[in-house]
Amino acid sequence: MSELIDEPIDVSTHGIFNWILLLAIFSVITVIGNYVGYKHPIYDSLIGMGILSLITLIGVWMERRLPLNISSIIYISLIGIFIAFPGVPTSETVLYYVSKIELLSIVTVFLAYVGIGIGKSWDEFKALGWKAIIITMLVIASTYFGSAIVAHIILVLTGVPM
Amino acid sequence: MGEGIISDKSNNDNQTNHIYREKTDRRILKKNPWKDYRLHGTVLVLVIIAELIGPIKIPITNGVEVSIMPLLYSMVLGLVFYLAKPITWIQRKQARIAEGAMMLFIGILIAKLAVSSGQSMHLIFEMGPALLLQELGHLATIIIALPVAILLGFKREAIGMTNSIGREPEVAVVVDKYGFNSPESRGIFALFIIGTMIGTVFISFLASLSTTLLPLHPYAFAMASGVGSASMNAAALGPTLAAFPALETNIEAFAGFSNLLSFSIGIYIVIFLAIPFTEKMYYFLEPRIGRSSKGSESNDENGVGGE
Repeated sequence: MSELIDEPIDVSTHGIFNWILLLAIFSVITVIGNYVGYKHPIYDSLIGMGILSLITLIGVWMERRLPLNISSIIYISLIGIFIAFPGVPTSETVLYYVSKIELLSIVTVFLAYVGIGIGKSWDEFKALGWKAIIITMLVIASTYFGSAIVAHIILVLTGVPM
Repeated sequence: MGEGIISDKSNNDNQTNHIYREKTDRRILKKNPWKDYRLHGTVLVLVIIAELIGPIKIPITNGVEVSIMPLLYSMVLGLVFYLAKPITWIQRKQARIAEGAMMLFIGILIAKLAVSSGQSMHLIFEMGPALLLQELGHLATIIIALPVAILLGFKREAIGMTNSIGREPEVAVVVDKYGFNSPESRGIFALFIIGTMIGTVFISFLASLSTTLLPLHPYAFAMASGVGSASMNAAALGPTLAAFPALETNIEAFAGFSNLLSFSIGIYIVIFLAIPFTEKMYYFLEPRIGRSSKGSESNDENGVGGE
């Protein structure tokens, strides 16, 4: 595990350049998948991915540049919610283009990277016993059902129609 | 994937948020990850294959079917490409780049979910109580998984393994509280690694089965998709969207918001409720149903190797 301990690196303009290129590659692959799987128009999807990439870029940049200790996930969520909020001037344009990207197209590309990335942990995974695998499945299932059942009860109690 | 946490500790940095940041920075800024055309080209091919196959519905019994989405093929194919010997161009280096890039790409996924949330913000305010209280439903794991872990002979590892779903923020909390070499941390590392490997596939099957079998509110399934990592959220969302196609935007909004809550408010629930409650339960149950101390030897096999 010695390779795991790397020295931290300062963010530079070089880093931002790397982020932009990576987001561009991701966007192009997603747009192609989005076209193959859902036949959404390529040009509109590219603009949609451009919007999402820009939100991401601003979010990761804010996380590193602002003195607050807030994760980029929060910044990205807040920006995304704000620019799509009904009544905000950007709302209609953003919704039009972003709706051309299926969530599942993004996820398919994302998980291809995840699949390759987790390959590294395969040996560690094999070394773990069957008991730990059972417990993990129980933990995931009970968390999922716990959340679903509580949500269902509250939704029914507050009178949300099915 | 526990390495972010390890270096996090080595920098004496206890902030959970920095896990993502340092890992992303290290992987992305050191080299020029966009240059690895073999990695990105392979991903493109995997995505095209996955989308061409499309969703497959497997009927189990009358009216019950499990849908397998393209997102699962692309993930499993990615893993197979890494492991397969003949594929020499996807190696450890590519996996490290993919892992770093993935931390940036989560942003795109979150941004898409946030846009859906913004669009449905009035609904999210209306459903506020359900969204917030379902976070407490996560505690079910302590009631169900902890006793089983104790029965199977786990000792203090069980505290780390069963207090939460064990993604990055929770791992950081446990390591911070108990120390890197504690049994509790070993437990959550095991949970983290197995969850990373099978969690995405497992929760997708779970969502697929339960949306057809359980008569719960569609929004309840949406909120439950958000319990784990971004990839688990996405994998659980796939079958949920397929089951309730008319509610697409709202389901995306609730899942996204619920996932956001898991990463923000959820972490405080883990610190202030889940971990103390797990400890209380453990020290109550262990003397009663735990195996004798001989069992602790077998625990080492279940801990994370290579420490």
